[in-house]
Amino acid sequence: MQSVLQVIGASVAFGGVHALDDISIDFKPGKITGIIGPNGAGKTTLLNVICGMTPATSGEVLLNGTRLTGMKPSRIAGLGLRRTFQASQLFAGMTVLENMMVGLHLMSSSGLAGAVFRTTKMRTEEAEMRRRAMEALDYVGFAHFADRPGSALSFGQQRIVEIARTLIYEPKVVLLDEPAVGLSVNRVAELDALLRRIRDERGITLIMIEHVIRLVMGVSDWIVVLGSGRKIAEGLPDTVRADQRVVEAYLGHQQHA
Amino acid sequence: MEMFSYLLATGITTGALYALVALGIVVVYKATGVVNFAHGEMFMLGGFMAFTFHVMFGWPYLASLVLAVIGAFVLGIVVDRVAFRPLMQRQSLVSVLLAMVGLSFVLKGVARWLWGGKGDFLTFPPLVSPEPILFGGIMIMSQQLVVVGAAVAVMLVFVLFFRLTRAGRFMQATADNPKAAKLVGLRTDRVYMYTFAVGAAVAGAAAVLMAPLTMLYPDIGFALFIKAFAAAVLGGLTSITGAIVGGLLIGIIEQLSAGYIDTGLQEVAAFIVIMVVMVFLPTGLFGQRAGRRV
Amino acid sequence: MLGHLVGRRAFCLAVFAFLFVIPFGANQYFLFVANLMILFIILSLGLNLLIGFAGQLAFANASMYGIGAYGTGLLMKHFALPYWFSAPAGTLIAMSVGTLLALPALRLSGIYLALTTLAFAQFTLWLMMHWTPVTFGAGGFVPPPIDFGSLPVSGGQAIYFISWVVCVLLFFVAKHTMESPIGRAFVAIRDREIAAQSLGIDLLKYKALAFAMSGFFAGAAGALYAGVLGFVGPESFDLLQMVMHKAAVVLGGMGSIAGSVIGGVLIVVLQEGVKEIAFPIEIVFGGLLLLFMLFQPTGVVVLLKRWLPGWQEPLHYAPRRVRRAATQPAPAAAQAGED
Repeated sequence: MQSVLQVIGASVAFGGVHALDDISIDFKPGKITGIIGPNGAGKTTLLNVICGMTPATSGEVLLNGTRLTGMKPSRIAGLGLRRTFQASQLFAGMTVLENMMVGLHLMSSSGLAGAVFRTTKMRTEEAEMRRRAMEALDYVGFAHFADRPGSALSFGQQRIVEIARTLIYEPKVVLLDEPAVGLSVNRVAELDALLRRIRDERGITLIMIEHVIRLVMGVSDWIVVLGSGRKIAEGLPDTVRADQRVVEAYLGHQQHA
Repeated sequence: MEMFSYLLATGITTGALYALVALGIVVVYKATGVVNFAHGEMFMLGGFMAFTFHVMFGWPYLASLVLAVIGAFVLGIVVDRVAFRPLMQRQSLVSVLLAMVGLSFVLKGVARWLWGGKGDFLTFPPLVSPEPILFGGIMIMSQQLVVVGAAVAVMLVFVLFFRLTRAGRFMQATADNPKAAKLVGLRTDRVYMYTFAVGAAVAGAAAVLMAPLTMLYPDIGFALFIKAFAAAVLGGLTSITGAIVGGLLIGIIEQLSAGYIDTGLQEVAAFIVIMVVMVFLPTGLFGQRAGRRV
Repeated sequence: MLGHLVGRRAFCLAVFAFLFVIPFGANQYFLFVANLMILFIILSLGLNLLIGFAGQLAFANASMYGIGAYGTGLLMKHFALPYWFSAPAGTLIAMSVGTLLALPALRLSGIYLALTTLAFAQFTLWLMMHWTPVTFGAGGFVPPPIDFGSLPVSGGQAIYFISWVVCVLLFFVAKHTMESPIGRAFVAIRDREIAAQSLGIDLLKYKALAFAMSGFFAGAAGALYAGVLGFVGPESFDLLQMVMHKAAVVLGGMGSIAGSVIGGVLIVVLQEGVKEIAFPIEIVFGGLLLLFMLFQPTGVVVLLKRWLPGWQEPLHYAPRRVRRAATQPAPAAAQAGED
């Protein structure tokens, strides 16, 4: 099938050190791809390159055929790519509802004039954004938090809201950077269910870096293993689990550390 | 050639003093990640203290120098305990910065109130006879030699302190890796406080050295802060060598541009350097590039 | 219960109503002071948009104020242009210069941005003092008096009402902007710039907008100031002025529109008070800034919220957090995570 996202020969080098070395991956549409690998393997760098926050020294990234390399991160977001981060990224100076509304930012088109004069267009858009934001909060069961400040939620709750925020504007591809970090066992199970729901109900392509092996092996349709900036292996979870090179990458890294 | 050497000599002299003040900025920045906006006032008050001791009380110059430096050190401790540390613990970076701006104004206002108004300038008697020495065709003021010599001595002490003494190495370690420092039992709070105080002391020393060359007035703190910041930024905010080189460069650039292009440029050269460096070379000459983590 | 009567909208409208009636009874000096309050409200609204809401720590507001005043005055003096043209022109010049500062704001943040804009402010001040053929140097200049035509009010009252109208308009501009997606974009950039980008918020566009707006507000205040004072000189636009602007924002409440109104009025009241007691003005304003940042960084507005339960303050003030700055002005990406 046609890939929705393609990374072709991407490399990122800083002064002789290769954070990424000639990585090529085809991400299948509507599937969950897990990216695993020991520390320092370049996983987050890969996400950074895809979403435009780190420039690639060479190589390309294509989203449905459009070349992403060289574009500003906000423009890439406009093309339907979203990502979450390891640290909480909720805006503390806003309510949870307003946080969700920022997720719909690209929907607003009335600009400064619309804002200042409170045109009908602007007010209609605001109302619509508010409605959809409430709907999304409802979807994850957090409607009662709507008017609380972003910083008032627990870490696990913030995670959920963040994921909901990345989904609210119908993205094509969502990059998740260790979504399970710091979550309790129960929450991880909830996350597992949520990810499956997202994939099945919305057909969104998910790409996930994760260390919680139980989660990533359980929920992913496809696994890519990185080590020292290179792609070591890829395949179905069971295939990868048994692959000798993968085992060595994890063990070998420990020995050299 | 004569004018050039004169300008160069003056530039090196003032540059050495900017370097001293810049050292204080760099050392506190490395430790805490904040540029102390009130640093210029440490300088200014050090100078005023020396004036009080030497001119008002009539004590000998060297004693006044030592006492003023101690005074600046103590002032540094007080400022750290009362303002800087509580701010760093409770507030965001924006708040710390704004608060230090406020503090600098308070200190400036106090100085003005205690020692003189907007138009008053305090003069310091010269250290040695103001006659120039001719050094193979190059004209140097002996005063400048003394100042540069003393400045270099202070710089050496400073650098050696950080490299060789235990206290200095602790400060260095805490600046480089505060978490590890805490783990091995260093009281990081104390270390920051002393780092801050050392920075203030060095600035105070610079003021005392500068006092015989020029006049003291309350606004000199800010004027010097900007120049020292320009020096620090030119050298790369995390580099001690950079602060020294940057200071000398700023001093020289000021004198040469004032001498050859326009006297008004002396005031403004530092601002232009800051803007140019920040836009085109934010890491400065010797600064480290942002750590890229793989 | 009182809180329900004194909502922030009612409060601001009350302030504006009060300011409106002043000319009908006040003497010339009082009128001047009230006019300054109006100007400070404008200055503080503009600066709050930039520092409080968008989180861009810039130190050039007093310069924009000065550029607005000088632009207006010089157009009138050098080219004999009328006030109704020069004032908007001066405002737009200040706005354009302010917008240029957005460019370094893309690469720099925190202390680096603060000191670069400060260097710029000092440079501008130097130009005002030394570019004598154009700016008339350190002594300043007197722009030609404004011709108000045959209105039934005095010159002082005319400029007062113009200031008042401009102030109310700009108040609504600021308020409506913050109640729109643009306002949320500002706060997003302030709180988590990287996340904002990842949701499609174009940093350059919004930072430029924040700088442009604050430049416009400060420039407008400057253009009015030239008319109010009847004199333009560099000493009005120095670092102390900058500290007063900051104090107004901090005192009122960073990230609060109503706070800017309160702060603007309070600062002028304090300034007059200080003159009466003959206490050093630097210690007062510096001290205020320091004490508020230490103990009440969210400003007076949050106190009001506590005492008057009906005071609905939208949640936009900058949250408290301790953060260690990056070692170098690193591009945002390098901080985005490990691995």
